[in-house]
Amino acid sequence: MTPWLHVLTLDLAVVGAAAAVMLVDALVPLRGRTLGWLVAACLTGVFAASFFVDVAGVTPHGAYVSDAWVLFFKRVFLAAAILGVLGSIDWLEARTPRRQAEYYALVLFSLVGMMLLPGARDWVLLVVAFELMGVPLYVLAAYAKQDGPPDEPKLAAEAGLKLFVTGAASSAFTFFGLALLVGLSGSTRIADVGALSPLAAVGLLFVIAGFGFKLGAVPFHMWIPDTYQGAPTPFVAFLSVAPKAGGLAALAVILMSSGWIGEQRLWAPAIVLISIASMAVGNLFALPQTDARRLLGFSGIAQIGYALIALASATEQGLSMTLFFIASYVFTNLGVFLVVHAAAENMGGHSIARMSGLSRRSPWLGGALLVFLLSLAGVPFVIGFWAKLFVFLAAYRAGLYAPVIVGVVLAVVGLFYYLSIARSTFMADGTSDTKIQAGLGLRTAIGICLVAVIALGLWPGPLVESATAAARAFLAAR
Amino acid sequence: MTLVHCLLLAAALFSLGVYGLLTRKQAVALLLSIELMVNAANLVLVAFAKFAGAPTQPIVLFTLAITVAEVAVGLALVMLLYRRYDDTLLDAASEMKG
Repeated sequence: MTPWLHVLTLDLAVVGAAAAVMLVDALVPLRGRTLGWLVAACLTGVFAASFFVDVAGVTPHGAYVSDAWVLFFKRVFLAAAILGVLGSIDWLEARTPRRQAEYYALVLFSLVGMMLLPGARDWVLLVVAFELMGVPLYVLAAYAKQDGPPDEPKLAAEAGLKLFVTGAASSAFTFFGLALLVGLSGSTRIADVGALSPLAAVGLLFVIAGFGFKLGAVPFHMWIPDTYQGAPTPFVAFLSVAPKAGGLAALAVILMSSGWIGEQRLWAPAIVLISIASMAVGNLFALPQTDARRLLGFSGIAQIGYALIALASATEQGLSMTLFFIASYVFTNLGVFLVVHAAAENMGGHSIARMSGLSRRSPWLGGALLVFLLSLAGVPFVIGFWAKLFVFLAAYRAGLYAPVIVGVVLAVVGLFYYLSIARSTFMADGTSDTKIQAGLGLRTAIGICLVAVIALGLWPGPLVESATAAARAFLAAR
Repeated sequence: MTLVHCLLLAAALFSLGVYGLLTRKQAVALLLSIELMVNAANLVLVAFAKFAGAPTQPIVLFTLAITVAEVAVGLALVMLLYRRYDDTLLDAASEMKG
């Protein structure tokens, strides 16, 4: 065995799982929910293995560096995939019982792309991993193509095409920027980028724009509300967290593992501008929304704005707080989307008005939704509070006062629309009294998110420490 | 013919692609516009390899392969759109607003 192959152990395990899923489907098709639980168990195994297997190392030519930074992101992606798969099991069984394997295989392939992203130190590897993450998502967004309520297939086709057009256009932007950067520096290593000449600045801008599409940061956010509304909700739960974390990882690798970290005064204003615009557009456009998925889409745009503030500070603290923020965002946003999914399946639609009476019909789901919304709003003693506080502190210490002030003001606006959902579920009486039915997979996923959001809100220490260790390892290795 | 000429041509091609992306309503025309943008990037890569000796030529193979995979998915989505709406105009597929 080559002496460096062990750095890809976890990724190869996921590739193996994806291949196994397709083989099993071709040879001995599994009925019912079995396959979903098997995939979730497999991913949980890989997640557990990430704590025991030594994957630290560097591949030849330094194209792929595996360290605490990569491990942190891999665990985040694996956690998101486990929760996403658990949340999809019952929906797939109900809507497309005969075509389940493709869904899981596509999620796994996208997961491999994400897991390769944070360790890539070579432009080509970075772009290939990014596309491996992106292309399966286009298919998954259009997955509800035949079954379900009459408007679902139409909306899913539209959602898939919109995600595809923006995604493919963004990769064209990335290719163009990459071509300029590699051509000018004469090396495909990210660390070798030269000084920020005008042409290289254009290249950098194009690459940032390309990755910004996946992040869903303003001005590259147009696809988000439509895709979130049209695509299958359990998939949107996954889409709204994992690719964003991947985009942030790629952005951090490009900006901070290269010679450009010294040019921070040149690129930081661009990131600050994007983050302020994202917070403003996300928070203000969320206010008039009546569809829960669109509202959460805009809220996700705003959340990415918060994460980018800390990244713009370009300090170790800022980077580690970005990591903490994205980890907390994964649990919170997955949770809130899965609760909305469970409610919508029972209440006949995703509009906020239809959520009325949720807490009476299921106190458990209503309570979970409230916790997630408070976490998104940044109310103390759930994880979202620490995430926002740390991000603002890191940016304040780095001297980025303007985005911090804008962020704090807009966080108050956020509180208003998050609580408007909570008001609808708690105060308003619904028309029905029947209990909410949610499958075991969905309940497990929501339960895990709930425990994580509350437990990490009370003891954020361990996550802060591992995020700091990851950021330190990343900055030391560059 | 120098590097600058090639870069200018590539910039023009890319801008054409962006223009098409923003103005066209046909789903297939959007795919063509995206192809134009990607090929502008390929032109830059090849030009740098020819005139500046940069190791960019092999990257063209990667961008081509990725684009082929993307377009395969994209055409499938256009087919799906056509079956659902009996049209490939994006104006038809605009159920979602706001």
